[in-house]
Amino acid sequence: MMIPLAWMAPLMFGGLIVFMLIGYPVSFSLAAVGLFFGFIGIESGFFNFALLQALPERVFGIMANDLLLAIPFFTFMGTILERCGLAEDLLDAMGQLFGPVRGGLAYAVIMVGAVLGAITGTVAASVIAMGLISLPIMMRYGYDMKLATGVIAASGTITQLIPPSLVLVVLADQLGRSVGDLYAGAIGPSIIQVVLFCLYILGVSFVKPDWVPALPKEFRTITGWPLVAKCLWGMVPSLILIFLVLGTILMGLATPTEGGAMGAVGAMALAAMHRRLTWPLLRQGMESTMRISSMVIFILIGSTVFSLVFRGVDGDLWIEHMLTALPGGVVGFLIFVNIFVFFLAFFLDFFEIAFIIIPLLAPAAAHIGIDLVWFGVLLCVNMQTSFMHPPFGFALFYLRGIAPPNVKSSDIYWGAFPWVFLQLLMALIVILWPELVTSWIDKDVTIDPSKIQIQIQNPDDDSGTSDQDDPDALQRQMQDSAPTQPAR
Amino acid sequence: MQLLLRLSGLIDALNERLGKIADWMVLLSCLVSAGNAMLRYGFSISSNAWLEIQWYMFGVMFMLGASYTLARNEHVRVDIVYGNVSERTQLWIDLLGGILFLLPATIIIGWLSWPVFHNSYLINEGSSNAGGLLRWPIKFFLPLGFALLTLQGISEIIKRTAALRGEYKLASKYEKPLQ
Repeated sequence: MMIPLAWMAPLMFGGLIVFMLIGYPVSFSLAAVGLFFGFIGIESGFFNFALLQALPERVFGIMANDLLLAIPFFTFMGTILERCGLAEDLLDAMGQLFGPVRGGLAYAVIMVGAVLGAITGTVAASVIAMGLISLPIMMRYGYDMKLATGVIAASGTITQLIPPSLVLVVLADQLGRSVGDLYAGAIGPSIIQVVLFCLYILGVSFVKPDWVPALPKEFRTITGWPLVAKCLWGMVPSLILIFLVLGTILMGLATPTEGGAMGAVGAMALAAMHRRLTWPLLRQGMESTMRISSMVIFILIGSTVFSLVFRGVDGDLWIEHMLTALPGGVVGFLIFVNIFVFFLAFFLDFFEIAFIIIPLLAPAAAHIGIDLVWFGVLLCVNMQTSFMHPPFGFALFYLRGIAPPNVKSSDIYWGAFPWVFLQLLMALIVILWPELVTSWIDKDVTIDPSKIQIQIQNPDDDSGTSDQDDPDALQRQMQDSAPTQPAR
Repeated sequence: MQLLLRLSGLIDALNERLGKIADWMVLLSCLVSAGNAMLRYGFSISSNAWLEIQWYMFGVMFMLGASYTLARNEHVRVDIVYGNVSERTQLWIDLLGGILFLLPATIIIGWLSWPVFHNSYLINEGSSNAGGLLRWPIKFFLPLGFALLTLQGISEIIKRTAALRGEYKLASKYEKPLQ
């Protein structure tokens, strides 16, 4: 069986799609495509068996990659926090505080969504908590059903973008950039996103005041100082936890991994403070963290097998040629990639996109001079929408799962539309305004957007950040500084 | 078939036990890592052995945990087709996927990783960091993990076959993991 080398990569890409669509677990399907085409490649003489012998070392490299340890730590932190009732307390307090304002409950949901997003990082946890607590109150006091479900689902998905988010850690690893830079870069868009959401509610409260009624005064069960105290009691420990994780990482005091570990320990302390740290809670947290981490790492192992062979048949060059030949330069590339990822996100979840698709896109992006931190944040904004668009959006699923039966599915679906639009607007803002991302990163690498085409890779990009003791990071830096030389 | 199902039960029990060990690695590695960070920045104490033990535990976590995750049917799938076909078709997908995708992959990678461990063991390979740990014990988890996955894959194939013949009822149904 002889297949010309030029056909191998497209065939392999097609094989990937077919193998994954069958519906067998992604990790093993990926490994199977890789090995299947690996043996065809060996038969055809494109490379020899030594290529496959590199596999165990790659798997070992995944083990020894300190950064990936952040996956179980952040997941553990999230699972503890989502079970310790923190969200419930926060929502109750903020709802009481903002409730009597027109649109107040919606603002409370957005705020709490942002705080929860920073500390737990799981969309499911935020959406479920807010859907269980805020949705019934909103319905009782006559909020428009579509608006209520939409704001909850959308606020739940902000989680993806707001640092310290696991999504950004994984993107940083795949893009070969420091986590600190991605965190710093995501701060601006996170703020704008929250502001956009609030502005939308503000607009609605003027145009359609009966959609977002102010709650009657009797709604407040506590007032004055006790209310303020309750809000603070809900907020302050969470903010300390956020600082503990995010602050130490951004200031370079801790590696992202250590930040995650301290966050998880802090989460246990926080749960203990609220008298909710129990043995079953800890056990459940450990169990689900272990299974999620194994699942995620095995997707990475599968995609490592795939990409090793894919590079062996020059697939990386094929993709790069195709993408860099797109008309419209940087903007054309970004628009194409964003539309591509937007549609992929209908079918693939975040980790699959990060491990399979990002490695294919990143070299091409670097090649035409796109700042990879900006690129990563942009993709992160984009992928948020995948949680929101009907009919596959996860946030909508979770909400459907816990919403009272008199909430119609069509309300949830239609309710999501304005928010998907706001998220896409956000992606557009990030494309047109790169400084929103880049100006938060270390000053010496700030990029003038008008000169983005001739941007030079600064080998000191990562200096002063936390990855120095990680040999992989160093190696990645070296690879990054020569983006036209694909690593074999 | 009954004999095979007994074998499958044994494999499941083994991997569930090992899965419990993997659970503990989450908590332990977390405490070790947080402890490392605090000692380093609080008291300028740092030890390569302790820095390495945290990723050793991480490796043990997913190499031992993956097979239990498979047993619980929690490896994520693309379910636009899978979610819309009959239960019988799902069993067939799992059965054929197990034979054509999973087993070849785990057997080949496991087989390739044995020499990696064995060579490391023969030269008693140590860490390249001062005061680091021996490398071969953690490298042992590469072939071990893939061997366990192979076993679990066989167990899943047995269960699917039995279910297709109506002799067994699967305990776990696939649900997309929360995220």
